[in-house]
Amino acid sequence: MRTGVFFCQATSPVALNIDAIAKYSANLPEVETVQVLRVEPYPDVKFLSDIIKAHNLERIVIAGETPGYYKPLFTRAMAMAGCNTDEIYLASFQEHGARGENALDRAKAIVACAVMGVPFPLAAVPGGNPVNHATLIVGGGIAGIQAALEIANAGKLVYLVEQTGTIGGHMAMFDKTFPTLDCAACILTPKMVSVGQHEMIRLMTKSKVIAVSGKPGSYRVKIKQSPRYVDVKSCVACSQCADVCPVKVKSEFDAGISMRKAIYIPFPQAVPNTFLIDENNCTYILSEGKKCGVCAKKCPKECINFNEKEQIIDIEVGNIILATGYEMLDASKIEQYGYGVYPNVLTSLEFERLTNASGVTGGRIVTKTKVFNKKTNKEEWIFSPEGVPPRSIAIIHCVGSRSRKYNTYCSRVCCMYSLKFAHLIKEKVPNASVYEFYIDMRAFGKGYEEFAERIKQEGTFVVRGHSASVTMDKGKMYVKGEDIINDRLVQFEVDMVVLAVGLIPSQGTEELSRMLGIRRDSDGWFSELDYNGSPTDTDKGGIYVAGMCQGPKDIPDTVAQASAVAAGVLKSLTSGKGLGHLSSISLSEIESRAKALHKI
Amino acid sequence: MAIRVNPEFINELDRFGAEDVQLCYQCGDCSTVCPHADEIYRFPRKSMKLLQMGLEQKIETTLEPWLCYYCGQCSEQCPREADPGETMMSLRRWLISRYDFTGISRAFYKSRTIEVLTIIFVALLTGALLLYYGFTNGNIGIYDGEGAFLPSHFIHRFDLSVGSILLVFLLINAFRMWRLVMIKGTDFTVPWWLYIKELYQLPWHFFTQKRYSECEKKRGHKIYMPWLIHLGLMLGYVTMLVLVMVFVELLQKGPEIRWEVHAFGYMATIGLLAGTLYFIRGRFKKHYVQYKKSHGTDWVFVILLFMIVITGVSQHIFHRTGLIEMANITYVIHLMSAVPWLLRMPFTKWAHLVYRPLAMYFASIRREAIEREAAVKELYPLVIK
Repeated sequence: MRTGVFFCQATSPVALNIDAIAKYSANLPEVETVQVLRVEPYPDVKFLSDIIKAHNLERIVIAGETPGYYKPLFTRAMAMAGCNTDEIYLASFQEHGARGENALDRAKAIVACAVMGVPFPLAAVPGGNPVNHATLIVGGGIAGIQAALEIANAGKLVYLVEQTGTIGGHMAMFDKTFPTLDCAACILTPKMVSVGQHEMIRLMTKSKVIAVSGKPGSYRVKIKQSPRYVDVKSCVACSQCADVCPVKVKSEFDAGISMRKAIYIPFPQAVPNTFLIDENNCTYILSEGKKCGVCAKKCPKECINFNEKEQIIDIEVGNIILATGYEMLDASKIEQYGYGVYPNVLTSLEFERLTNASGVTGGRIVTKTKVFNKKTNKEEWIFSPEGVPPRSIAIIHCVGSRSRKYNTYCSRVCCMYSLKFAHLIKEKVPNASVYEFYIDMRAFGKGYEEFAERIKQEGTFVVRGHSASVTMDKGKMYVKGEDIINDRLVQFEVDMVVLAVGLIPSQGTEELSRMLGIRRDSDGWFSELDYNGSPTDTDKGGIYVAGMCQGPKDIPDTVAQASAVAAGVLKSLTSGKGLGHLSSISLSEIESRAKALHKI
Repeated sequence: MAIRVNPEFINELDRFGAEDVQLCYQCGDCSTVCPHADEIYRFPRKSMKLLQMGLEQKIETTLEPWLCYYCGQCSEQCPREADPGETMMSLRRWLISRYDFTGISRAFYKSRTIEVLTIIFVALLTGALLLYYGFTNGNIGIYDGEGAFLPSHFIHRFDLSVGSILLVFLLINAFRMWRLVMIKGTDFTVPWWLYIKELYQLPWHFFTQKRYSECEKKRGHKIYMPWLIHLGLMLGYVTMLVLVMVFVELLQKGPEIRWEVHAFGYMATIGLLAGTLYFIRGRFKKHYVQYKKSHGTDWVFVILLFMIVITGVSQHIFHRTGLIEMANITYVIHLMSAVPWLLRMPFTKWAHLVYRPLAMYFASIRREAIEREAAVKELYPLVIK
């Protein structure tokens, strides 16, 4: 068939070398003419039909980033030239993913397939690499736990690597989930326990991935496991060591609002349910064995071993799932809210721990009280169960989110958890007045809008307008804002301010992306292969993303994505075709396959 | 009457400097941090909203742009970087062109070329007139007295005629402002005696610019530097204007220096020089938000002012040191820059000298009237049927 190839490409930031592709396509069989069309001004139908007539073309290939845009034009031109309008093939670089390292070869293959009239996905079938049946999951939050359980329950081996001393992640810190107001721990802890007890899950806490090599289907991974200094098998979490430990530091699990010892268990339901030593604060380790060491003397099971060394573990896996989660933006960067300056300005995570029944106040919502610290001779503001409940609380949305100065994106969960806070406050301190300052209420999920309406019914003052200032005057805190719907400026005296702080990718994201060669988007989250089509895959075969590390999302979405990832992994393990990735197939392979298909 | 929407308004305002209005998502941060926003006059968010909606006819009756002194806190705070401060500035420029009935102001703001050409034209015209008068009636070697190049009684008459042209334009524009704001934009009755009661606002705001000093109230600084400099500049300017318009014959007389008028002249010069240099420096360094974007007309404003001050000072020095010819030439240059500058006044930023105090005056009248209305309404029950 006499074929004409037309390149219609607007200049784009990731422009491919069109000339090279055009030269390549000129050498393909049956190609009569190759033309690079200017898209500005728009190609003329008459002009095109003249070309078709002049070369007596029977088939047309439109190549470019989005060639479908020009298809109607060519259809008309073909009709005008009196040809079969069915013989128009699109070679879309965008659709078939001609980007990244070997974009040029991919683009050539796409054009070759279109010239031969073979659908590209049919010719380019990845596969062939044998797949190792073990899977590595990086991150032990709800996404990692869910994916691990799904895969392990299918009978496949899972390595779950977690950086801290326990799995559970952020969800373990939450009190309730929106919009159903289910107890977060009641959903999470059974899952955590089954991860801890599962025979197909190798749990590695205090561990980090330090090197990855290999190709899709067989990755060799180096994991550094830091010592816990407490034997996981024999420790029974009797807590006698923590009772005698003299060092007190801020608890990470309590978001810094309570204190823990240097030997500690992150929280009572931690998995593995054993103590560990914080080597950055332990007097014995810092002084290299010269001071302290009382915990080792006190331990009735003699399971504390200060000589434990860090280990490097080499494993081989077929698939890697990234579920590294998120962090909160540092709220003290945003000066106008006075976080870190005024005692009763809290971040959302701190408030979450305050209102949690397992928190420092036993779930009572109180303001901070002033105490005298004898060690440092300074007055400190701390939460204590005897504190006074606040009479009024302001919750400020979009702190650091949707702002060109901090995060340009919406953090997606803040509106809903802020509404949840309003409900919890109303439930626990019924007389308190709650002010929600919001810009736009993003209640987008199932049951979310109803939840938002319900909170408004409960007597929360929902103020449409972003408060920009928290000020302190004579011991009283004021929040000022503009109530846009009622068209007035408002100022409320409040006892506590909760900032719905935006979310950012967790610290190791950049390092991990460099190690694995996975792209990140402009905001720092991992890039998925295709936002609509394959939201869990990445550029590299056998590496997947789940949960927040791909972009802000709530718990239902995270769990859904984790399960989807598990399905992808299990597909590669059971399909028998082996795991491959489009990037692993060469141009000549695709060409030969296309030729074979073309003949049929 | 229904208000008409002008969807092109936002694009039109582009030429006046407001480029990023569409970015605004109405969070109200700007109104929260603004030291001047209060219950009755809420801005800048509301002005931004009116702009986004294209309510041109509503904006032209508002006073809010004049109540803003552009301290820049809103622009610093804005999460969308929509620059509300600059928008208020642009609205002031637009309002000046709106109050102006001749359309000259509009042309100036829209095209810098037209403005510069007009200035050069007026300057050349002035120069030609002065040179013609000087060479036919006097001698370039004499500064003052019999046969002088530019005798003081002629300059006095010349100044007064320029001043009266200026006054006519300004008065008409001020009247148009009053009609827009107090008649068209006020849908409640304003008792006449409020105009008298609040009259003190005019001189008060004119001579102290108290509201400008309040810009810094929230940050806790004692003195707000731009305010002090601005006040110095303005007082220097007004003093100079009075000296030139009324006492020019005393000023020009030689050879001895008459301290009763010259003391004022020197003080005014210091104020003008310091102010101009400060603002030029600010526009170059851009360390304050309000200097980040300089409209073309802003540059013409400061550069012309600087030229006037420099030629005025050097003219005085040449005269007093006996370089009479040089003094006469610089005098001509001085007047060549001063006349276009003065005639420019009703059409450009300069006019805020008049509009701002007037706006404060109108604003307090309206505030009183609104509060009275509200109090009266509270007295009577709401009757539905």
